[in-house]
Amino acid sequence: MSKDIFILPETRSWRDIPQQVKPRAMSSEGRRRLLMKAVRATMGAIVFSGVAWGAWEVAEVVRDPSAIPDAAKSERIRSLVLVTDGVLDKDWLAKTLALPSDATLMGTDLMKLRSRVLENAQVRSATILRNFPDTLTVRISERSPVARLMAQAGSDRPRMYLVSRDGAAFEGTGFDPGMVDSLPWLDGVRLARRDGAILPIAGMVAVSDLLASAKLEAEGLYRTWQVVSIERLASDGQIEVHTKDGMKVVFGTREDYLRQIARLDLLIDANSDPTRPLRVVDLSLGAQVPVAYGTASPSIIEKPESASSTPAPGPQITFPAFSNLQPAARRGL
Amino acid sequence: MGSKNTYIGAVEIGTSKVTALVGEYTGREIVIIGYGECSSRGVIKGSVVDYRSATECTHNALELAERDANERIDHVFLAQTGGHLEGFYNEASLNVKAADNMIEPDDIRTVCELAKSKDLPLGRMVVHNIRRPFRVDGRLIPTSPENLVGQRLEVGYWTVHGQEQRLADNIHVIRGFNLEVRELVLSSLASGHMVTSMEERQNGVLAIDIGAGTTDFVLYRNGAPHTTGVLAVGGGHFTNDLSIGLRLTEAQAEKLKVRFGRALVQARDKSEKVWLDGNFSIGDRQFARQAIESITAARAWELMEVVRKKLGQAFEPEACAAGVVLTGGGAKLPAIADCASKVFGTQARLGEAPSWVNENLRDPGYHTALGTLYYGVSAQGDRAALSRRKGGFLQNMSRLFAST
Repeated sequence: MSKDIFILPETRSWRDIPQQVKPRAMSSEGRRRLLMKAVRATMGAIVFSGVAWGAWEVAEVVRDPSAIPDAAKSERIRSLVLVTDGVLDKDWLAKTLALPSDATLMGTDLMKLRSRVLENAQVRSATILRNFPDTLTVRISERSPVARLMAQAGSDRPRMYLVSRDGAAFEGTGFDPGMVDSLPWLDGVRLARRDGAILPIAGMVAVSDLLASAKLEAEGLYRTWQVVSIERLASDGQIEVHTKDGMKVVFGTREDYLRQIARLDLLIDANSDPTRPLRVVDLSLGAQVPVAYGTASPSIIEKPESASSTPAPGPQITFPAFSNLQPAARRGL
Repeated sequence: MGSKNTYIGAVEIGTSKVTALVGEYTGREIVIIGYGECSSRGVIKGSVVDYRSATECTHNALELAERDANERIDHVFLAQTGGHLEGFYNEASLNVKAADNMIEPDDIRTVCELAKSKDLPLGRMVVHNIRRPFRVDGRLIPTSPENLVGQRLEVGYWTVHGQEQRLADNIHVIRGFNLEVRELVLSSLASGHMVTSMEERQNGVLAIDIGAGTTDFVLYRNGAPHTTGVLAVGGGHFTNDLSIGLRLTEAQAEKLKVRFGRALVQARDKSEKVWLDGNFSIGDRQFARQAIESITAARAWELMEVVRKKLGQAFEPEACAAGVVLTGGGAKLPAIADCASKVFGTQARLGEAPSWVNENLRDPGYHTALGTLYYGVSAQGDRAALSRRKGGFLQNMSRLFAST
């Protein structure tokens, strides 16, 4: 598109008047202000130059460690400080860092040390600081386990791993054995490795939320949970929990866990018949909860009056057990 | 004090006094934190005639203001007056380029540039370009015509220009204190902005600032300045008339003017006498009150008539519903509003500063300095917006006055 060209006369504005005046045309106060301005500008330039020079020196040192003065290099690490939010201790740190006895503060490659610390998946993040004159401070943030699993690589003997909420599997150092024993086992998982490190387990956030809800709201139930299987988590959105007394509970990930746990609690309370223990409870279908009953162990079953009245072996499936969780439905049991 | 606050200086180098104000602008409000005043020397009719004397008293006022504020300012807004300031109106129009006749920013920019560009005589410089409302096919558009549909876009500018040397003298007086002059503000715009409300400017109002050496006036229409002007006649001429007419010294005439001067003759008794000093000292004399009133009233009448004549066709009483507002030290002359009312054939009143102004600065003689400061604040806020929009200052200033 063509553009119109206008030749406009150049009008002069008062802004074209030069504002510079000679010092002799200034008053004494004006000259003083000019001097102060010059002094301030000089001071500013000096400070700026100093900061720039310092930054350049630091950059040089970072870029080329050989530029570190020998005096600074020769200062040995005399103290190792660990700041953590978990259970790892100083012995673990010393073992992990494996610093030689003559290691110096400035001669140590912090990035290398940090990667050594992070090799343990129990450590979520790590920061290593030089605290002059002779202290190396390691700040770490640790992962907390929510479950455990047993895995075997090749012909090695099976090893127990702890699993955190973000799916990281680690061997677990320094945890209380009682706490570890209280964790449920994780099933239906196949661990994979890349570059020697175990890859995170997918879906652990859902498992973690379920376990946390159960632990907080129904600790009695949680204590009976022995195995948590996530085999059908990806495909069907189901988490299977196997209790110590042989019951399988299927949780769905689409509904609030708290509601499902409440239903489970209600079912267990409602089923007061010791001769027909619950064997399978499927909570993944919402208000419709299919259950399967089993037979009790002989010790708690009374002798039957006749052979014909003996219930058939195997689970009896009643569908649906509840149309909802209203008291009327409960009474129907 | 917060580091985000801006310290703005406003200076008025008047014929009778130099006023300097320091305002602290917090981003939302302005607080006057420093004030300095000094009797003016080396300034006649708003122009510097003795650089050293003018510098001395201006710098004294600035020092006093800075000391009072306990803050240093780095730049000032300088009020500008003087008989050398003149104005003219120039307008331009163009056909809208777009095929759908929708006005684009480029059209607006071009028409504004065309309207502002006019050759000035040698040695003259633009002080202000004041935009009047746009017209799209004859329709009045007070703000921006962007995205409106029309075939012809018109705009006019009232351009105020002054003599280069006199403008430079004023700027150099401030620079002698090592302060930057951020903006020149026409005295009439500054004082007019202080004493008139937005509604009055929308309805049409004439603001007249009678100083000691000059009289500045601005006529507002449709919310924006329409015409401005400066007369090299002020309160000093009343004194001078009395001095010649009654054969008195300047100081004695000034005293009589302040005590007995009136803009309309009230005394009917020719034999009514008033004492010069009234303290029976040697040289104390009596004068006829009617003579004093006649002299000051004649000058006041003449002054108003000259203003009216300068405005010419631009002033129409029916297009000036809010009437005439008088300010400046000369407006303290009794019955000056009645005089203006008679000459202009419309209502007239004395201007008052807004309620937020400190009691000590409410005198009409400070309205120009206050208006300059107020303008400075508006310009600061507008400049911030401007930096976001990347517009030019002149557009910005036009918008400022158009919006107010």
